Amino acid sequence: MAPSVLYHCPCLSTSDIPPPPHLPSSSHSFHPLNTLFFCEECDAVRCNRCVSVEVSSYYCPNCLFEVPSASVRAEKNRCARNCFMCPNCRNTLAAVPADPESGDGRIPAGVAEGPYIMYCNYCRWDSAEIGITFEKPTGLAAQLQKYEDSAPDSLEFDRLKEHFDAFLRTSALAASTSGTHHHSTHHSHSLHTNSITAAASAALARDIPGVGKYNPLARSTTGRGYGKDRSVNKDEMTEYRSRSEIAQTAGAGGGEPDVELMNSLEEVGEVASLEQRWENSWVTPLQTKQLKPIRIPLHSKRSKRCPACTHILIKPEQKSQSVRYKIKLMAANYLPGIVIVLPHMRQLRDELSKRNLGKSVAAQVDEPPPGMVAGNTYEFQLNLTNPLYDPIEVRLSVQRVHVSTAPGGTAEKARRPPFAISLPTAKFPISPFAEAWEYEDDEDMFGVEDDELGIGMGSSLSASVRGGREKDGRARPKTVGVLERKANKTVVGGEVVIGKEAQGNVKFNMLVSYTYRSDDAEGGDLGVHPSKPEIRRFEFYTVVDLGPIISREEARMDL
Amino acid sequence: MPPIRDKFTIHSKAVVCQDVELKGDITIGAGTIVHPKATIFAIAGPIVIGSGCIIEEATIIVNRRKEVMRIGDENLFEVGCRVECPSIGDHNTISARSRVHHTVRISNHCVIGVGCLVVPIEDEVLDDYTIVYGPGAERRKWSGRGKVQEADLRRKHADYLREMIPKFNRLRRGDGI
Ligand SMILES: [Zn+2]
Ligand SMILES: [Zn+2]
Ligand SMILES: [Zn+2]
Ligand SMILES: [Zn+2]
Repeated sequence: MAPSVLYHCPCLSTSDIPPPPHLPSSSHSFHPLNTLFFCEECDAVRCNRCVSVEVSSYYCPNCLFEVPSASVRAEKNRCARNCFMCPNCRNTLAAVPADPESGDGRIPAGVAEGPYIMYCNYCRWDSAEIGITFEKPTGLAAQLQKYEDSAPDSLEFDRLKEHFDAFLRTSALAASTSGTHHHSTHHSHSLHTNSITAAASAALARDIPGVGKYNPLARSTTGRGYGKDRSVNKDEMTEYRSRSEIAQTAGAGGGEPDVELMNSLEEVGEVASLEQRWENSWVTPLQTKQLKPIRIPLHSKRSKRCPACTHILIKPEQKSQSVRYKIKLMAANYLPGIVIVLPHMRQLRDELSKRNLGKSVAAQVDEPPPGMVAGNTYEFQLNLTNPLYDPIEVRLSVQRVHVSTAPGGTAEKARRPPFAISLPTAKFPISPFAEAWEYEDDEDMFGVEDDELGIGMGSSLSASVRGGREKDGRARPKTVGVLERKANKTVVGGEVVIGKEAQGNVKFNMLVSYTYRSDDAEGGDLGVHPSKPEIRRFEFYTVVDLGPIISREEARMDL
Repeated sequence: MPPIRDKFTIHSKAVVCQDVELKGDITIGAGTIVHPKATIFAIAGPIVIGSGCIIEEATIIVNRRKEVMRIGDENLFEVGCRVECPSIGDHNTISARSRVHHTVRISNHCVIGVGCLVVPIEDEVLDDYTIVYGPGAERRKWSGRGKVQEADLRRKHADYLREMIPKFNRLRRGDGI
């Protein structure tokens, strides 16, 4: 795995300081930068875990028809036009005219005539296999509605719905009349729940086109039940009697019919696979020949809000054909991006490609085995990119990991990889993002004084190792500090000294704090700031993973 | 092994692009279209391709056996497929980037799905209307419904290519004619 930098969202804990990287909770608190949002109002990072999500539109992924949210429920969350999935392979089905009965095998010129079949271009399943043909190639869903509505499970659901609907209505009525006598705080609460149940029951009662005429029986029985229900206790429900015995429904729940079927089975293909069965929302048929074409599930476009101030963070354009956003506050446009480069990995890769030359493709090794050998010292580079139109000054600091001395601390200590990270502690600038670069030969910062460098962190490594690095650090070309500045990128070098007995990953928390100046409101990306020059500061935590540590024995075996 | 002697017999109504790699004894029937960058290798025995076939770019057709490799009429070989079958019937579709080994004989109206590998160890004949599809190269039997539609579309496809390809490519002619 490539080395990674993940960004912290503090929503999971009350503290702004993230958990140390060796704890399991660490992985839940850090996210890739491209998945994070930034709320300008709160001046804070927001992640997909903490934002509130609302659906802004529903559409069919196949025909791109935008379905008004009012009809989504009535259409049972699936496309109600011409889009169906192949029950066999889940490809999209096409409606084609059935082949002419006779003739020379050529399609007569002119308008093709029915009947039509649904046809899978991929696995060649067709709807005539299960006895479904159509008179016209449009409104297929409407033509199939009768199959769907007359299915026993669908009828059962409608009946169940009506059964509970009666109860919901009476209890809502009771709550709203009794609610007025209560204390005001209680009142507001019950009013709140009332509106929810009322909305739910209203939604449940909504007419589903075509359903009514197919279950006159169900309607009349619940009608009677409703009348009885009102006269007795409002909180009590009448007993629900199902329309059909569950065991009698073939393929629904095992039993004798299934045993018989299994006994007479000739090919494994006669039994529907789990994937095919799970695609169905009602009955999951056991036999392949019972599988029916399924309307394609709708997709939704969603907008997300800040959990604290409810400002919108991202909002897509309504049109299903559009892939643009009306509002898009991505953290990547506010926080500097960080990419890790491991020079020793690059070297390994170069060597590998040299060795691969002249070898057959099969014998080639694409990637060098990742990892750093225990007891060695490695360089790493952080490539920081400034997304803002203002210059920023960045300071990096590695979060100290305290070694617990409590009982049981030895086990803890053994698990924790002992390594030391060196990073420049002085702040360094990154030029603003701009369309035209004027900073090509700005090399003021090339070569920060060595005494500006500091040692960031010593987790559990002895001081002697650190001292050793500093001594010969001056003799070698500089590896720690600002290495390069180019356009809106700055490359910072760091070094990791890995202990001899180290295990696990080289993974550490790093605090990135930066200041930016906003001189004018128009020029700045953050338009909310006033026009007078102002220095603002922002900081966020990251977790840096440089990859696994290879024990010295393993490394020797590889060679 | 004696060196392969090239002998190309191309029907005057076939459309074979100049930029096609041919090797060995090859016969191409009337109305068959061979796109540029296709490869047809008759390494051992000859290859005989029927009429109305469409052989798309980067297709590789190889005959490693001594006997004649016969490919019927109106077959479609899609981009990047590789076929070594000793025999192929009529109206088959070999989809893009699929691979069929020399152990398989294909009958009629079969479809080898996109990217499918058909590489049985023992010799095998795919019956008429066999469909191979999906990542696991599953098989099913096609009812045959829609085949007239498909054949009609195939013919239109070929007609269009016969008209358009010569406008943009130089064509190859057979040895004899
Ligand atoms: Zn969050
Ligand atoms: Zn649709
Ligand atoms: Zn299918
Ligand atoms: Zn906010």
